Amino acid sequence: MIIGLEHYLVLGALLFCIGFFIALSKKNAVGVLIGVELMLNAVNLTLIAFSRFGATEVALSTQVFVVFIIAVAAAEVAVGLALALVVYRNRQTISVDRTTLLKG
Amino acid sequence: MSDFGFHLAFWSLAAMTLGGASMIIISRNLIHAVIWLVMSMLGIAGLYLTLSADFIAVVQVLIYVGAISVLMLFAIMLTPRAERDNSQNIKTGGPAALVVLLVMISTLWVAIDTDWGAVREAALTDQARLIGESLIKHYILPFEIGAVLLTAALVGAIALARQDDEDAAVHAASLQAELDGEGSVDPVNVVDPPIASEASDTEAAS
Repeated sequence: MIIGLEHYLVLGALLFCIGFFIALSKKNAVGVLIGVELMLNAVNLTLIAFSRFGATEVALSTQVFVVFIIAVAAAEVAVGLALALVVYRNRQTISVDRTTLLKG
Repeated sequence: MSDFGFHLAFWSLAAMTLGGASMIIISRNLIHAVIWLVMSMLGIAGLYLTLSADFIAVVQVLIYVGAISVLMLFAIMLTPRAERDNSQNIKTGGPAALVVLLVMISTLWVAIDTDWGAVREAALTDQARLIGESLIKHYILPFEIGAVLLTAALVGAIALARQDDEDAAVHAASLQAELDGEGSVDPVNVVDPPIASEASDTEAAS
């Protein structure tokens, strides 16, 4: 059996779903961020798989796209963790179901 | 490329990635969860290498394994031990699992059932140069916007995370009181002995 595009796509889909489940089910805000990071990585893996096996015209632009995704993910993590620290300082918890300040 | 070696690399890296990701779900300590995340990220970097995307693999190791995980560990260590519990899940775990299951079924169905067309055999060569050139030729505007975004995110993170002046004053006062209570160390008058700093300089030079 030759390892081809489908193998990487299935792997990316499984990784995305694990990250999705972590992001939905964890109580800890940092745990939710970890799940979001896994989802972003799964998408990157899928894009790189298309870059390797897809048409020649998209081979380069997908890699540039992945570079931009990594940069935006780094910015997102920095701001997200700073927000978690501020929430902890004001509410003494970073549990996402106990920060109910905006609840009507 | 030998076929057996490629198979071995793919399946072991896939097991490493998915295993690390699954261990995040069941690990009870948040610090262990971040360590498992690092393992998963390293597996993905290896998978990039099997896809002959060497530049992206290096970027993955530098940013995810090096920077983001350390940032997460710092954030965890700046909150007390009680907040490191990763074992608690929200009460609506059942519906969440159902939604995830639906997403998994649909994405797997699309991935397997679609005819992806002809598979290209040759990989892109000289990727770092090509990516760099296209970043400053075709994608110059997104590149600049990304630079502004990173700067804004860093400034915003610092502005969010730094303590207010009152908090900082209280914190400094309590620290000073603690030091006065011990009565031995005066932080103002502590100066590095010049000999020691010279010694460390020569060590660094050698």
